[in-house]
Amino acid sequence: MTNSLRLELACAIGQVAGGVSRALKRGRGDTLTGRVILALDKNALSKLASQRDLVLVSGTNGKTTSTANLAKILEQYAHEGVSTSGSGANMPAGIVAALASKPRNRFAAIEVDEMYLPQIFRQTKPKVVVLLNLSRDQLHRTGEVRKVSQLWNDTFATDDVSLVIDRDDPFLEYSAAQAGHVIRIGFGGRKHPDAATCPKCAAILDWSTGDYSCVCGLGTKLPDVRADKRLRGPQRNSTLVIEAARLMGAEINAQEAQELISQSPDRITEFEAANRKIPTHLAKNPESWREALAQITKQSVILSVNARGIDGRDTSWLWDIDYSSLQGKQVVCTGDRKLDVAYRLSVQGIDVVLANDFESAAATCATSQIQAIASYTAFQDLAAQALGIAATQGGHV
Amino acid sequence: MKLSIIRLYHDLLGTYGDQGNAEVLIHRARARGIEVELVEVSPNQAIPRSGDIYLLGGGEDGPQIAALEMLRADGGLNYAAAGGATVLAVCAGFQIIGSSLDSVEGKISGLGLVDADTVYTNAPRSVGELVVQPTRGDLPILTGFENHQGLTQLGPDMPALGSVLSGTGNGFNKSEGVWHGNVFGTYMHGPALARNPELADTVLQCAVGPMRPFTDSLAQELAAERRHTLTGN
Repeated sequence: MTNSLRLELACAIGQVAGGVSRALKRGRGDTLTGRVILALDKNALSKLASQRDLVLVSGTNGKTTSTANLAKILEQYAHEGVSTSGSGANMPAGIVAALASKPRNRFAAIEVDEMYLPQIFRQTKPKVVVLLNLSRDQLHRTGEVRKVSQLWNDTFATDDVSLVIDRDDPFLEYSAAQAGHVIRIGFGGRKHPDAATCPKCAAILDWSTGDYSCVCGLGTKLPDVRADKRLRGPQRNSTLVIEAARLMGAEINAQEAQELISQSPDRITEFEAANRKIPTHLAKNPESWREALAQITKQSVILSVNARGIDGRDTSWLWDIDYSSLQGKQVVCTGDRKLDVAYRLSVQGIDVVLANDFESAAATCATSQIQAIASYTAFQDLAAQALGIAATQGGHV
Repeated sequence: MKLSIIRLYHDLLGTYGDQGNAEVLIHRARARGIEVELVEVSPNQAIPRSGDIYLLGGGEDGPQIAALEMLRADGGLNYAAAGGATVLAVCAGFQIIGSSLDSVEGKISGLGLVDADTVYTNAPRSVGELVVQPTRGDLPILTGFENHQGLTQLGPDMPALGSVLSGTGNGFNKSEGVWHGNVFGTYMHGPALARNPELADTVLQCAVGPMRPFTDSLAQELAAERRHTLTGN
């Protein structure tokens, strides 16, 4: 069988498998499609990526939204669809499935898990890689933030790609330290909560000016683009996305860019429980919790915390977050690890009540003015419920 | 008396939420009417010598060595510990209060508050829930979450904090942590004192002596839920 025939056949069978999975309401089917394609053609990834213009998006927070925004811009420019990872499936199988959708179109905007970035980068040879941010997340899987940064530093010791980074993040500055072509976006004026020491030489970083500097010279490169320092996390990501789209050839004018930035949503989805509509923030690590907490305005708040595989099985980071903005609100804790979050809040002097599930948490709330923050699998379960498909497996410890 | 809790280099040794140990101690001390002050010591600031409880948390490899060098140069922690101050050191903190440890530049000396040697092996990183049968006191089974590469061998006269029921702990002879005089070391995060309220009181009592009982039902529930989920009891 010729190379391209094998690939085409693999893709056709994979799409059927994914379709069957969707029809049976077993999930969105993307990962299964990808697995089947990879099983039939192990070189599918590089084949599907060849002769196309790829941009990869990675980082701790905002990958899915940023990838979607990037795909939106590229689609508008290309007048055709863009292969993209709509559902946040960001490991090899999900990426193969994304590339196999619209395989003849020019552009692909692909979200990539931090640990898989080296492999995906080597196999897909993208034009541009956007590195959004790096902070603590799933330490049981990734080890240490600085180890991810080192892994990326090794990966991007090349001139064959353009990187777009937030240069205020020392971990990203080090990730790009050996790269030939880097666009540095500077926002200025915010200390990275996990970067007391230099990712390169481990000396203590000097943050006294609001920006960092190190005896080894990390951080001395000036930004190529200076952006507004008041921008919050998701808006900063949009700024990086627009720069990446430019590098891909898609010009976007200032006004369109502004519109995109202003409407760029956090991962907030409205779920219905106890006949109430509850805007729910997806938050999965200290940095995204801080972002979510900053947006809590309503009187009743549901916090739903699990610690299943992808959430990170260690909940101790809950203690790294300042919850004082919840003072005086009605806080209901639910999820597998409701006691961990409830006790943490109580030590900070915040009153909490416990609920067995999201539905009863919503029913417990005194008013219909409710917002929620949910960890990854808790959020997925709510989404699955809303779509009427099977929830994630429990099996927690 | 005013209880003085010294949290050391939270920026360097605060990767795994261990700073919560300070908050739990403060919460449980205040519940007994004990006045508490928390002193945060940042890198390159002087360490007070007159503190009652000194806390060190877990951290990444680079910051761990930076912290060790500053602690050695300052000398305040060793001085206070020699005078009987209470020390709780977690993970990377536990490793640096030992006598020696492996680093990227080979074997280096630790602070020597306890006789313990930390080695780096090719064994897979120890990551997961840790369940411990305490060797002393009337403590219940302890639980925490461990995440470390180094393994720690205690000297012959060093009592462990407990023996491992599941997980890795120190990685030698089923031992976990150390409890030597008023010095505690452990691989348990969670934070350890949040998930083990009786251990929190044991640490407090080293500094303030006997205390009146205090039951925090949420803390007890959390400890019991973890024990139950991990051991079935």
